[in-house]
Amino acid sequence: MSDTTFSSSRIGRIGGLLMLALAIAYGIGGSQIDYAFASDPLGPRVVPVLLAIILAVLCLFYLKNPGTAEAFPTGQLLVKIVAVPLLLLASALLLEPAGFAASIFLLTFGVGWIFGAPLRLALIGGVGQAALWWFVFSYLLDVYLPVGQLFG
Amino acid sequence: MNLDYLWNGFTVALTMQNLLIGLAGCFIGTLVGALPAIGPINGIALLIPIAYTMGLPAESTMILLAAVYCGAEYGGRISSILLNVPGDAGAVMTALDGNPMARQGRAGEALMLSGLSSFVGGVFGAVGLALFAPLLAGLAIGFGPAEYFVLMVFAFATLGSMVGSQPVKTLIGCTLGLMLATVGLDATSGAYRFTFNEPELGDGIEFVVLVIGLFSVSEALLILEHQASGVTVIRELGRMTARLDDIRKSIGATLRGSVIGFIVGVLPGTGASVSSAVSYTTEKRISDTEGTFGKGDVRGLTAPEAANNATACGAFVPMLTLGVPGSGTTAVMLGALMLYNIQPGPMLITERPEVVGGLVASLFIGNVLLLLLNLPLVNIFARVLTVPNWLLVPGILVLSVVGVYSTHASVFSILLMLGIGIIGWLLRKAGFDMAPIILGFVLGHVMEVNLRNALAISGGDISILFQSKISIILWILAGAMAVMPLIAGWRKAKRMKTATS
Repeated sequence: MSDTTFSSSRIGRIGGLLMLALAIAYGIGGSQIDYAFASDPLGPRVVPVLLAIILAVLCLFYLKNPGTAEAFPTGQLLVKIVAVPLLLLASALLLEPAGFAASIFLLTFGVGWIFGAPLRLALIGGVGQAALWWFVFSYLLDVYLPVGQLFG
Repeated sequence: MNLDYLWNGFTVALTMQNLLIGLAGCFIGTLVGALPAIGPINGIALLIPIAYTMGLPAESTMILLAAVYCGAEYGGRISSILLNVPGDAGAVMTALDGNPMARQGRAGEALMLSGLSSFVGGVFGAVGLALFAPLLAGLAIGFGPAEYFVLMVFAFATLGSMVGSQPVKTLIGCTLGLMLATVGLDATSGAYRFTFNEPELGDGIEFVVLVIGLFSVSEALLILEHQASGVTVIRELGRMTARLDDIRKSIGATLRGSVIGFIVGVLPGTGASVSSAVSYTTEKRISDTEGTFGKGDVRGLTAPEAANNATACGAFVPMLTLGVPGSGTTAVMLGALMLYNIQPGPMLITERPEVVGGLVASLFIGNVLLLLLNLPLVNIFARVLTVPNWLLVPGILVLSVVGVYSTHASVFSILLMLGIGIIGWLLRKAGFDMAPIILGFVLGHVMEVNLRNALAISGGDISILFQSKISIILWILAGAMAVMPLIAGWRKAKRMKTATS
């Protein structure tokens, strides 16, 4: 147990440092915002700079005691965790060229399989969901969805 | 007291269309609550784009979302009792006594009793909302920009002291939300801030994209990590009516839970997870004389259930009258109102009585519908718990993708949602709550505009923030809220010291 808490608090510290870096970058960016005129005494720069200072101070408190955090996934679980966003990325990029049905099939089949469905069931689930959601959105709710060049 | 807005609201809420929308919302809400994979916040976030593209008017959308919100507070108990896994954050405490009851073969009784106490809590909260909303709106009508700014400082102070295990994490969340709200065109100066020359960020980060990213995408990753293998649904429901004895025994607990729940709901930002915890610990202190809490005591079951439903209604009080959401879920609903170009505040009740009245009236109707849905149909909802994650999670992801894509037909939105989702997952693993980010984001723009307007009025003199009586009271309240966790921590340390010696 002590092992995971140690690594967790270290992960918390890395996160705290990243947020501190974000605060500094955001503050510098905020102090350099270009504007031609300001109709109020504060202008567009002051609030971002204030927020950057607040976040930086809070990060210092956080770094002092990051508290408990969950351990990072490893091994096979890490592969699965990385695969889900990659599938989302792929289906987002395929949405317009390949169309809604194909891209949603990829997403539902892939994620279903990652979540432990046997291959056959994942395939059936993917086809079924692609058809179901196409019907619900295109016919029942009249939401615009790309047909794609594959079928269009 | 003038309750005309409420009577008119009933004529809005009782139209055929709005009744059907409310019924659908109650049904969806109970499902959303019962399924551990999806809570009220992402349930509502996924519905907003659908309601918007269907062209529903503002009041119908609000009725739909409010019904989902209340329904989720009812539904959460089902998985708490039958699975020992809370269906949503407000139902964590329900499992403590509800699941032991189910294991003793009294699942049916537990479901009925908690359904009844949910109803009492919900109706109590709705009555409170109907009475308090006009009062608070009347009080706030004299608020100027300075008072509004201080009010929001108070809201963040409350949030920091009440939500989450570590105030600093909650406050970092709020600040991140406020920072995200600065992205886009600054209306007073015409400057583009933090858009990185990306035209799609010109109008700022889209609300739906942020909420769905933070809740749905990160939730999918967390479910994958925590996929439990040993959870079993209790199928033997036993007798499906509550015993009169138990009802009598839990009347006090239910009423106390309702009061606590409503008050916590009215406080800015503190939702059902806080109120159910406070009411459970209070009830335990009052009633647990024989050490039966945690072993299936009906009072430990009914108190938090009444509380989380009263909270859902109470949370609308500050949202509708001050424009400051009373919980994470009402923060999302506030964002939905803003999509309709409605900025909630003390004038809303007079300017858009159909929205406020319709919403409040629909809560009364919704609670009756929910009681009718939840008592006889509880079996059906219980069966939904057996839907496997490999079907459910892809479904939620499809709704997420379609939801963010449909509003502007832009792939960029999906990519932004994905990026936000991954960051949200990392933050949640480090113990950060997502609701403060949403709250900061929703209030960020209004807070900045009010601060800048206040200082424009005073010509840059900061003392305008401390001038009126209302501002001073709000500063004092904010200060009291900020030191509260310090005092509590000090008392705890002292108690531990005396315990060890």
